[in-house]
Amino acid sequence: MISFNQVTKRYPGGHEALSSISLAIEKGELVFLTGHSGAGKSTLLKLIAAIERPTSGVVSVNGQNISRLSQRAVPYLRRNIGLVFQDHKLLFDRTVIENVVLPLDIAGFDRREALKRARAVIDKVGLLKREKSNPVSLSGGEQQRLCIARALVSRPALLLADEPTGNLDAGYAADIMAMFHDFHQVGTTLVIATHDDRAISALGGRTLHLDHGKITECAA
Amino acid sequence: MRHWLRHQKHALATALRRLFSQPLVTLFTALAMGVAISLPSALYLMLGNLNRLAGDLPAQPEISLFLSADVSPAQKNLIASRLRQEDIAQARHIPKAQALAALGASQGLADITAGLNDNPLPDAWIVRPRQVTPDALTRLAGELGKLPGVAETQLDSEWTERLQAALAIGRTGVWLLGSLFAIALMAISSNAIRARVLTRRDEIHVSRLIGATHRYIRRPFLYLGALQGLLGGLAAGGVLALAGVMLRAPVAHLSTLYGASFQLLPPSGNEMAIVLAITTATGWLGAWIAVTRTLHQTATPR
Repeated sequence: MISFNQVTKRYPGGHEALSSISLAIEKGELVFLTGHSGAGKSTLLKLIAAIERPTSGVVSVNGQNISRLSQRAVPYLRRNIGLVFQDHKLLFDRTVIENVVLPLDIAGFDRREALKRARAVIDKVGLLKREKSNPVSLSGGEQQRLCIARALVSRPALLLADEPTGNLDAGYAADIMAMFHDFHQVGTTLVIATHDDRAISALGGRTLHLDHGKITECAA
Repeated sequence: MRHWLRHQKHALATALRRLFSQPLVTLFTALAMGVAISLPSALYLMLGNLNRLAGDLPAQPEISLFLSADVSPAQKNLIASRLRQEDIAQARHIPKAQALAALGASQGLADITAGLNDNPLPDAWIVRPRQVTPDALTRLAGELGKLPGVAETQLDSEWTERLQAALAIGRTGVWLLGSLFAIALMAISSNAIRARVLTRRDEIHVSRLIGATHRYIRRPFLYLGALQGLLGGLAAGGVLALAGVMLRAPVAHLSTLYGASFQLLPPSGNEMAIVLAITTATGWLGAWIAVTRTLHQTATPR
């Protein structure tokens, strides 16, 4: 589903975030990216979602060459990818359900159908009672679950999560990881960047360790 | 198609919500646009009214013949017979006694005319030629001027021609001013929309991350710009209506002083529609520029 071939990403100013990375992730796989901050985990995720373009090498997702993808085609690629951010990136000028409906609005769904689907996914992350609240009033763990709900509402085949449990205490983090486990069970491809060793051992899956922009360890 | 309509509806609803979420900003932007567009519009209306005024004056150009004081009866007959020819549509004789009486009556100069021993006014003919092209007029005026006993000829259409020429310059001025103000309008709209875009940076950023196209992001702002422009046009209509109300009494007073009944004409429905269309279009265009610029500046969201 995802393949990197000799991919290098150098940011303006010369910092090399990734150096000649090659990897392949199969459909339905669960992959953890580990490594200390600055090792290139976020950059790798951004390359998959076409938020950044590689300096050299080929990134391909679903058989599409991301480096060659036109600006016009990028939105349609992103609609097939669920993104979970460490800082949630929620919109605080609207309710919980409006946040979740946004991807469906963008995709042009019928409003009633969109609300129905949004409600179902909010129920799945356990926020149904809060659907009319403003996200500001939610706890950190709830905000993260809301972010996951938004990522999942358009039923993407691929979910990318950047430190999804980074700011959460152990209880919340376990909740979130259990949720990811469920998605993996139903066939979603997951790439999760995390520090959380307990989660990795609990969920299993492949681990890619990044160090200074290179993959140093590949454990199954 | 249904997809597209749904997006349009959604964008319009979003635009309306944003418009009324900052009513003061909306109001002031509309006022700025309204004042800007009302200047060329007012000039246009003024010219239209002046043009109408000029149209009320004898549209047919006339040639006045003033006879010399020592003209003989034979010469007078000769002139009269010449003025009965084919190329003259109408000729009216004004004897000098009648002219003096008219002068004394009409302009309140009775005191002066009464004090005169002799009548200083000449006999005159007012001639209305059949052909009214400027060339034909000049030719005829020259020919009549050479008749014995004619002291002077005067083309009365001259000043209306001058007025028409001045109005033509005015009309060009309106277009020039109108274009300049349209650019100003676009700048006002662009700035207003840019401010709103900046306050919605997070939303735009997140929307792009989850698959929004440029078009999706641009759409509500375009509606916003167009609506803002429409409000600006309506504000201009308000400014013009207010000016019309304030000017009505003084204009009526002035026209009674001239013994005429002249009223300011308000803009017609068509003219108002054109103003609204122009402000709406420039509002839209300004918004397009503002959003597109911002989208390109933030080409790679972080």
